[in-house]
Amino acid sequence: MRQLKNPIFAILVACAVVAGVYSELKQAIIILSMIALSVVLGFYNEYKAEKIVENLRQNVAIKAVVTRDGKLRQIDSRNLVPGDIVSIYVGDIAPADIRVVKCKDLQADEATFTGESFPVEKTSESLSLERPMPQQLTNYLFMGTVVVHGSGQGVVVSTGKNTQLGAISKSLVRSHPETEFQRGIRKYGNMLMTLTFALSVGIFALNAIVGHQLIDSLLFSLAVAVGLVPELMPAIVTISLAQGASKMAKVKVVVKRLVSIEDFGNMDVLCTDKTGTLTEGKISLNDCRSLGEKEDERILPYSLLCNSAAVGDAIVGNPMDMAIWEYAIKNGKEQSIKPYTKIDEIPFDYQRRIMSVVVKDNGGHLLISKGAPESVFARCTQADLSGKINPIETVQEAINDKFFNLSKLGYRILAVASRQVEEKSSYSLDDEKDLTLLGFLIFIDPPKKDAHEAMSRLKDMGVEVKILTGDNELVAKTICDELKVPVKKIVCGSDLVQMSWTEMKKAVEEITIFARITPEQKLDIIRALKENGHVVGFGGDGVNDAPALYEADVGISVDTGVDVAKEAADIVLLEKDLLVMAAGINEGRKIFGNTIKYILMGTSSNFGNMFSAAAASVFLPFLPMLPMQILFMNLLYDVANMTLPTDNVDEEYVKSPKRWDIGFVRKYTLFFGPFSSLYDFLTYGIMLFVFGAATNPALFQSGWFVESFWTEVLVIFVIRTRRIPFFTSRPGKWLIVLTLACVAFGTILPFTILGSYLGFTALPLEYWALLVLMVATYLLLVDAGKVFFYKICKFQ
Amino acid sequence: MAELDLFQWWAVSIAGGSIFLTLVSIYLYADSRTRRERPTSKVRGPTRIMTDFIFVWVLLGLLIFYIVSINIGSATVFAAGNIFVEALLVAYLLKNRKRKSEET
Repeated sequence: MRQLKNPIFAILVACAVVAGVYSELKQAIIILSMIALSVVLGFYNEYKAEKIVENLRQNVAIKAVVTRDGKLRQIDSRNLVPGDIVSIYVGDIAPADIRVVKCKDLQADEATFTGESFPVEKTSESLSLERPMPQQLTNYLFMGTVVVHGSGQGVVVSTGKNTQLGAISKSLVRSHPETEFQRGIRKYGNMLMTLTFALSVGIFALNAIVGHQLIDSLLFSLAVAVGLVPELMPAIVTISLAQGASKMAKVKVVVKRLVSIEDFGNMDVLCTDKTGTLTEGKISLNDCRSLGEKEDERILPYSLLCNSAAVGDAIVGNPMDMAIWEYAIKNGKEQSIKPYTKIDEIPFDYQRRIMSVVVKDNGGHLLISKGAPESVFARCTQADLSGKINPIETVQEAINDKFFNLSKLGYRILAVASRQVEEKSSYSLDDEKDLTLLGFLIFIDPPKKDAHEAMSRLKDMGVEVKILTGDNELVAKTICDELKVPVKKIVCGSDLVQMSWTEMKKAVEEITIFARITPEQKLDIIRALKENGHVVGFGGDGVNDAPALYEADVGISVDTGVDVAKEAADIVLLEKDLLVMAAGINEGRKIFGNTIKYILMGTSSNFGNMFSAAAASVFLPFLPMLPMQILFMNLLYDVANMTLPTDNVDEEYVKSPKRWDIGFVRKYTLFFGPFSSLYDFLTYGIMLFVFGAATNPALFQSGWFVESFWTEVLVIFVIRTRRIPFFTSRPGKWLIVLTLACVAFGTILPFTILGSYLGFTALPLEYWALLVLMVATYLLLVDAGKVFFYKICKFQ
Repeated sequence: MAELDLFQWWAVSIAGGSIFLTLVSIYLYADSRTRRERPTSKVRGPTRIMTDFIFVWVLLGLLIFYIVSINIGSATVFAAGNIFVEALLVAYLLKNRKRKSEET
């Protein structure tokens, strides 16, 4: 249907109608055949592109285990329907809203959905609630929530947009901002439309003034309009992007939104977390460190008790809590919590940045808190140094130094504190006070071995990497230093708050590491960079990253990220690695390069040809080319360009990000367009004054058709590269094959039945010899023009 | 007479096209100089401008040659002239390629 909505289609139909009613039926039939061919070609290409993208999306689709016809099978979760029975295991993301019918110790993390970080226990029992809030429905698993413990089975109640998450997500389902590439294409379309309109109206008026038949003039001006517009451009751009997406999938980059490929290739700033990019992304507990010289045996069991990880056949939870368990199991200390019974828990939240539990031991009730050191320090009144309790003020400086030194070594630190509390049935945030600081948990996320190479490669490719991290600045700086990543400036979220928007826009240019920042600040950083004229990529995989993924020109997530992040992203990496990203960027640049080639071709040779047709129509006593001949040439030209997306791209082209520059396209058109016009005029001269075609319109039209087609198509080999064609830059083999095949077809056309049906006639042998010489001069002159344009005038 | 009119039309068209291209080249050249002008940059001498515009001289030379050869109506002159110009262009491109490799 999209093919039929193309305005060119309307112009072509108008041509056919005008030709059918007022001129020859033969012309109308030929024009209609060409419409059909164009639609089929466009449809075929876009269909092929959509199939490619659909196949790629399958790679990152969420799977669900479902019982259908009594058999257990794994299907794409998008194919679930209400009534399906779904099995749920630890680590699964609920693929729909599910009424739990069977479960064992089932707990779900509903943070995505309610913001509640503590897992919610699920039941298969019926509940009697009046107008329940979704979070009260403990016998439901809501789509997007994560099973952190146990297993179960349930019946799908609603899917997709009808789920609770679907309702919430409507706020997220906003259209992506227009990409740089889309803006470029829109501006280009406007430029082309203005040119086409002006030229076709002008041609019609001039032809009418010089006394040509009104209908012929109208048909001719419409045909020139069609000839000017690259009607297969949407199809060629789509197939180019789809083929590129297919190639990118081979380097582990899955494209979800095709138009983002160009911006992916052209981004010059990449904002990303350091976990998994600069570091291995595998956090492990390195040590439990007391404040004094003597080891404190309580720190590990306390941190196992004050822990949100679910331990079963597998350990599931947040990476730091999981790391504590893994450390305990590895050192045979998991039984150390046996003497304690858990009484209550005050879950973690991002404001407090700590969690607490109350446990019962022999001495009564004990409150244990674990969290970000600054947050824990603020709740401590005492510190335990080798069994000696000191007022915190007296040792604060030494503690801060210890924390500072550990952070400087690149460790991620949590503090552990406790106090005896009076026995009561439940505890609140007010109880998190007067704590005694016991020590630190020291985590390590080792730097990635290839991170330095990846960063260097990105730098060479003109992409500046900015680290946006929730960690403190010392850890981030240390990792960068270890990797020898140059850091211009580090700023904390608290500093950003103090800045005005103007200061922020200036600062984002100079800062390499943004530490301790909030999700809202990530959004501000991206907006500031975009306003500064950068094409910004953002890499994120958490729930809170979704808005930033939308805001960035290119949202990049990873396959292991949460669904909402994957959903918001344009690109999904199958491996969180900067080298994978660099490979993807390279492919993106190649695709952009090939798209630009088509556009430059269309606006130079095509425009030049149509311009000379317009000029000739004024001084010739007949039309220089019949409308159906122009349309046929246009169709053949588009076929020849079909393989442009497979063309090779010069190495230097992919070395730096490219921007859509409509000014460049305009200058290019203005300069290279007249070359083909000149050679068209030359052909007119030869046909009229050497071969006497002034009284033989068919001979004139045939001669010009062949010359025009040769120059229009063969010039791609010159335009496609800034180097010397063929010698230092080899075109893609399919481009060579199809272009030459089309040239051969266009050459023999005047000698065929189809040719005579189109109004062509055989050309004298002498003409062919002159044509070869003329086209060779033309191609050499365009190549010399390239030297002037790129080397002397230095247009990039 | 009609034939003569046609030739004049044709000559005006091709000359117009060439002059247009020459003017565009001058505009682009001037634009590029303005764009890249720095306080320290040296003013280009007439010799350098002459060399920078080689392509324009070739173009104007071609125009004259084409008009003359077509006025004569000789395919042989036209073919010979084309071959000569092609040789010139190939030499120019090769020289340019050499200069480029020297620069790098």
